[in-house]
Amino acid sequence: MDWLNSVLEKANAAFVEKDRWRLYLKGLGITMEVAVFAALIGIVLGTIVAFMKLSTKRNGKPTIFARIANIYIDIIRGTPSVLQLLIMWVIVMKDCKNGVLVACITFGINSGAYVSEIMRAGILAVDKGQTEAGRSLGLSHFQTMRYIVIPQAFKNALPPLGNEFIVLIKETAIVGYVGLSDLTRVANQMTSKLYEAFMPLIGSAIVYFTIIKILTVLLAKLERRLRKSDNR
Amino acid sequence: MIIVKDLHKKFGGNHVLRGVDYHIHQGEKIVVVGPSGSGKSTFLRCLNLLEIPTSGEIWFDGQLITDPKININKVRQHMGMVFQHFNLFNNLTIMENITLAPVKLKLMAEEEAKENALKLLNRVGLAEKADAYPGSLSGGQKQRIAIVRSLAMSPKLMLFDEPTSALDPEMVGEVLEVMKELAESGMTMVVVTHEMGFAREVGTKVLFMDEGNIIEENTPQEFFANPQSPRLKEFLSKVL
Ligand SMILES: Nc1ncnc2c1ncn2[C@@H]1O[C@H](COP(=O)(O)OP(=O)(O)OP(=O)(O)O)[C@@H](O)[C@H]1O
Ligand SMILES: [Mg+2]
Repeated sequence: MDWLNSVLEKANAAFVEKDRWRLYLKGLGITMEVAVFAALIGIVLGTIVAFMKLSTKRNGKPTIFARIANIYIDIIRGTPSVLQLLIMWVIVMKDCKNGVLVACITFGINSGAYVSEIMRAGILAVDKGQTEAGRSLGLSHFQTMRYIVIPQAFKNALPPLGNEFIVLIKETAIVGYVGLSDLTRVANQMTSKLYEAFMPLIGSAIVYFTIIKILTVLLAKLERRLRKSDNR
Repeated sequence: MIIVKDLHKKFGGNHVLRGVDYHIHQGEKIVVVGPSGSGKSTFLRCLNLLEIPTSGEIWFDGQLITDPKININKVRQHMGMVFQHFNLFNNLTIMENITLAPVKLKLMAEEEAKENALKLLNRVGLAEKADAYPGSLSGGQKQRIAIVRSLAMSPKLMLFDEPTSALDPEMVGEVLEVMKELAESGMTMVVVTHEMGFAREVGTKVLFMDEGNIIEENTPQEFFANPQSPRLKEFLSKVL
């Protein structure tokens, strides 16, 4: 029974003593805060970029906006997100001392590139007849998008958007680089403090896993409900 | 009401409309027939500028609407269009489908638009579907709603592109019935259709399109009894 005692002791030291669990909880708070705000920025930005990318001139050629959108997507996809974060922190927003803000903006911009591809697919999946009907009634291009196409595109895109959010939660594990004590960093700090790696690392991994598992199940439910409502 | 002059439309190298000239008067019911690919849909879609003509002029109520400076949205408010595949807005209820454009274009207050929509829905016998979503309706119901949606804008002209072609046979009648009533109410209509009975009964003029041009135009009686061109004779022998 010695090993059980030692396990309990280690768990006690890692989580219970000195209310250390509060640190993990706070870390989880930061992880989720960054993920949620980045996701919101990503959705707005991604939707705009999707429309930019889909914009064509009268002769069918891509507009300058479409080109800009492509360059943005290329850069984001072609560079590691750790570097994007450091570039924002050290160079672009170097006067901003608010690490959470920098992290939210960086991950928002990063996620926007992926969301734009998701939204683009969602928009393209909306039947062209919907747009034509809107325009034939005299609605402007913008009104047609706003009231008819975007709501339907968003519904198409909900499952992959949920996935993107899950990816985002895990991706934020690098915000320690800008001084934030998110769940991963808390676990890391605890490891060096207690000279004991197993409990903090495995413990926080379980927390990530549980949250993502719950989201995955909810997402699957949502997807099923959406599919049902398609043939209402 | 509409004057079309030397209208051309090319899709890349595909020359679809080849110099169409036509004059539509107030109150006329123009029925357009012709073989598949002859440019009927393209002609109709040029009239409300869903397709931008490659060259030529279209005048609507004395206004040159092919002028790039014209506000297309304003022009389209006065031209209803009914599509083969209905194109009801899937994310909106029937009521919202009908009131969206008049309300968002600030032509009516919401309450007024709803009242008007109910009146129109009653006219086609579908008032009880006001809160349903398009997905729950039959094809014939959808098309009647689509007509109502256009009418809610009080258009001066209605364009129909094969409004019954996507319907099960037993639903064609209910849609044609609504169109007939609309014709009797004096609406100016341009109808692309394969329903020769409708052309005979409702049309004031029947046009035959082939290879991007209007080959023949006549009253329904003459059109069917005395076709002039060999191509129309051949076409009629196939469809009648
Ligand atoms: N958006 C488009 N892009 C490219 N080609 C097109 C487009 N729309 C129509 N066409 C072509 O134009 C030609 C005429 O098409 P249109 O739809 O006007 O014919 P239609 O007379 O309405 O035929 P149907 O009876 O089959 O509806 C066809 O060859 C078609 O392939
Ligand atoms: Mg057609």
